[in-house]
Amino acid sequence: MQRRRVLVVDDDDLTLDILRTILDLEEFDVVTARDGEEALGFLAADRFDIVVLDVMMPGLDGFAVCRRIKGDPQTADVPVILLTAKDRREDIEAGHEAGAEAYLTKPFSPLALIETLNRFGLGRKRS
Amino acid sequence: MSLDEAGLDRMQRQLQIFASELNQVMARERERREEAEGALQELKNSYQTMVRTLAMVCEMKDNYTRHHLDRTYQYATALTRRVAPELVEDVRVGYGYLLHDIGKIGIPDAVLNKPGPLDDDEWKVMRTHPLIGYQLVTGIKFLGSAMEVIRSHHERWDGRGYPMGIAGEDIYLPARIFAIIDTFDAMTSDRPYRKGRTVAVAMEEIEKNGGTQFDPDLVDAFIKLCTDLKLVGSDASGLTVVR
Repeated sequence: MQRRRVLVVDDDDLTLDILRTILDLEEFDVVTARDGEEALGFLAADRFDIVVLDVMMPGLDGFAVCRRIKGDPQTADVPVILLTAKDRREDIEAGHEAGAEAYLTKPFSPLALIETLNRFGLGRKRS
Repeated sequence: MSLDEAGLDRMQRQLQIFASELNQVMARERERREEAEGALQELKNSYQTMVRTLAMVCEMKDNYTRHHLDRTYQYATALTRRVAPELVEDVRVGYGYLLHDIGKIGIPDAVLNKPGPLDDDEWKVMRTHPLIGYQLVTGIKFLGSAMEVIRSHHERWDGRGYPMGIAGEDIYLPARIFAIIDTFDAMTSDRPYRKGRTVAVAMEEIEKNGGTQFDPDLVDAFIKLCTDLKLVGSDASGLTVVR
């Protein structure tokens, strides 16, 4: 079975490390990007099964990155999970307007993240 | 990364979530493991029961062999422990000892329970029991090497046994062990047409046949076992607990 590829975008090293550990355990190939521009570069060059995306980043924020992903026919069908400390109702609405498929708040629950991955058919126990 | 107070607080809350979810996951795993272990134990018990039931069915059919099964199983296990302790850990060897005569199910009662010595034709029929047994259990995967005990417990060290006439170490070790124990038990047990012989006579007979009928090294170990257990002068057929 082919391993699934995930792109994780966050400007915080510790968060990246934590996510990499969890996603490694879930048997993903993990690629990390520190900002929106870098992320879009990876997405243009390579195929990913899913993107886990922070919102508050220097330069392009997560909403903008998400809009660019959804606006490009090459990447529009790649699911995006926003993972952010912004937990107000209008933030969540903004996320959905940007086209994100799921919205998780920080501090985040690893189990909820895994469950979300399962929901996109990317869990470890796929048939 | 530098952590300010708000960062510390965020981190602390994140860690609390991790800790609590780790507990959840571990509890779930523990539960799953206990379930799996329970199921495995149950399965092992079922195998054990199945084998014993099969063996008992066989024993019930064969009037001569009352308690033969218990005795031979225990003597054979005791001898195995001395010569190849690692085989005692293998339940399939024990299954083989218990089921060695399973093929007697296929022997007509008139032959199996004849109240007197068998004639040549009857012996021919009797000698089919290792192969009948082997064929009966072929396909029961978990019995594994037990099948070799069933098939080979009447083979002889010198190759003049049956059903295959194989010799020496080509004969599966537990089958070589069992051949000695089986003969010893047959000699010391009463038959409807004759009294059982004494332990001393039986030991002498086994010793005499080391290198021809039996593996000589195993005969030495067997004699030593009998001596250590102080079997001489006792009624071997009455002994059912040997550890």
